[in-house]
Amino acid sequence: MSSFFYFLKESIQGFTRNLSTTLGSIVTIFLSLLIIGVFLVGGTVINHLVSSIENEVSITAYVADDADQAQIDELMGQIRGMEGVASVGFTTKDQALENFRASTSNPDIIDQLDGQNPLPASIDIELSDPQLVESVADQVLATSLYPQVTDNPDDPAEAVKYGQQSVERLFAVTNYVRYIGIALIALLIFIALVFINNTIRLAILARRKEIAIMRLVGASNGFIRGPFLMEGALHALIGSLLAVGVLQALRSAAIPRVQAALPFLSLEVDGGTYAVIYLSLVGAGLVIGLVGSAFAMRRYLKV
Amino acid sequence: MASQLSQSLPVLEVDETSAPLGTPVITFDHVTKVYPAQPNKPALNDVSLQIFAGEFLFLVGHSGSGKSTFIRLLTREIKPTEGKIYVADEDLTTMRNWRVPYLRRNIGCVFQDFKLLPNKTVFENVAFALEVIGKSRHVIKTQVPEVLRLVGLSEKLNSYPDQLSGGQQQRVSIARAIVNRPPLLICDEPTGNLDPQTSRGIMDLLERINRTGTTVLIATHDREMVDNMRRRVIALDRGHLTRDQDRGVYGFDV
Repeated sequence: MSSFFYFLKESIQGFTRNLSTTLGSIVTIFLSLLIIGVFLVGGTVINHLVSSIENEVSITAYVADDADQAQIDELMGQIRGMEGVASVGFTTKDQALENFRASTSNPDIIDQLDGQNPLPASIDIELSDPQLVESVADQVLATSLYPQVTDNPDDPAEAVKYGQQSVERLFAVTNYVRYIGIALIALLIFIALVFINNTIRLAILARRKEIAIMRLVGASNGFIRGPFLMEGALHALIGSLLAVGVLQALRSAAIPRVQAALPFLSLEVDGGTYAVIYLSLVGAGLVIGLVGSAFAMRRYLKV
Repeated sequence: MASQLSQSLPVLEVDETSAPLGTPVITFDHVTKVYPAQPNKPALNDVSLQIFAGEFLFLVGHSGSGKSTFIRLLTREIKPTEGKIYVADEDLTTMRNWRVPYLRRNIGCVFQDFKLLPNKTVFENVAFALEVIGKSRHVIKTQVPEVLRLVGLSEKLNSYPDQLSGGQQQRVSIARAIVNRPPLLICDEPTGNLDPQTSRGIMDLLERINRTGTTVLIATHDREMVDNMRRRVIALDRGHLTRDQDRGVYGFDV
């Protein structure tokens, strides 16, 4: 325990002794973690956005006006059992008309229909895993019941709609966005590790005379390593806390403005997610600081 | 001063004029060291000798004769290519790496270039040696002033190394080497940077330390000093042990 306080004393003295390298190290950690943090928050917001867009993907299977209601109910039961399906609903012809009335910008068209209803009834399938949309649609078409109730007996596939083309394109884009985000964060962590390793190596280089004397008088390796590891950890702690502080300031200042400028996107991510990001930043900072200084120490501790 | 130290250090009864008996502190058993850079020219070639507790001896030889290799083998900075080295019954060739710091706590080292830390005071420089082996503040507060009094620097506690003369700096480095009371003190050219009169003072100090029972080994070029002191002399020439005599002289033509 007494050596813990010795390490602490020495590492705090290291701050005043090598003020410029100390500041360099802290600023490096701070900037790296800030950039990583910005990407993490940005990635989370984009991920959140992408999920909310993906969740709007659903399948509409149109059924004929004279279809047997018992067959439709049985078909809906089968669809409920399929993988990736969250819920199955039924829209009657009247509801379809109401929905159309609500969404169209020109309600006069409906009045011109003279009480006729050209819209078909449909089975609406919500998906728990939007990526499975194509396989669910295929399974619906493959059932023995659907061709009997479909609105288009000549080609049932034409009566199952899920925006085939646009869905495929959307998933291609969202997956790219995710991969690029992960690759960028990995690259940034690597850069931070290299920078910190280098900075701490400089700090050790500045004190190699002390290390040589410590070895000469028989200080154990743990004792020599202690103050440097402590110093690396302290730099990382200060740097990561600064990064978290600036991120929090950015979040409270910038996100509401962007949200105000882009009201149709939902940018709000709950506070728990932010807490996880902040904690992992501090944790990553500590790991980077300790690993970086341990790595930089290695060659000075060969007996 | 010497009497104060002899109260605090274990005094071994050693007859300085006759060959000491008992178990040797240091044993070299057919030691050969070949550096990979010079495979055909061994730095030490089949050297065997014994050094006993309480001895005061000189290690002489030209540059490149193997003196530094001898000292680096003793502190286990390097391992011999062949042969065995024992320090206080411990075999250095099979010693585990983690034990090496504990070996070095029993060997004080003094160098030609002092190796003092310029940003620490005299007191802090000496205290540093105790701090880093985990001694308590109480031990530091009693032992450091005591050892500085022994080397005659009680007044310079708060000076920085660059405010001291070369001889005073070497006294600080000797104080640092013996503050932990090691049984063995190794000096590599301790007077190499000092004028003859200052050197004489340093040698007196080393003799005084030796009288308290510490074994003192001095590697040196200083012909006059070796001739004056008439102590045991070990001579190395191109890696070979050429001479080992009690009360010897430097003996090389300069």
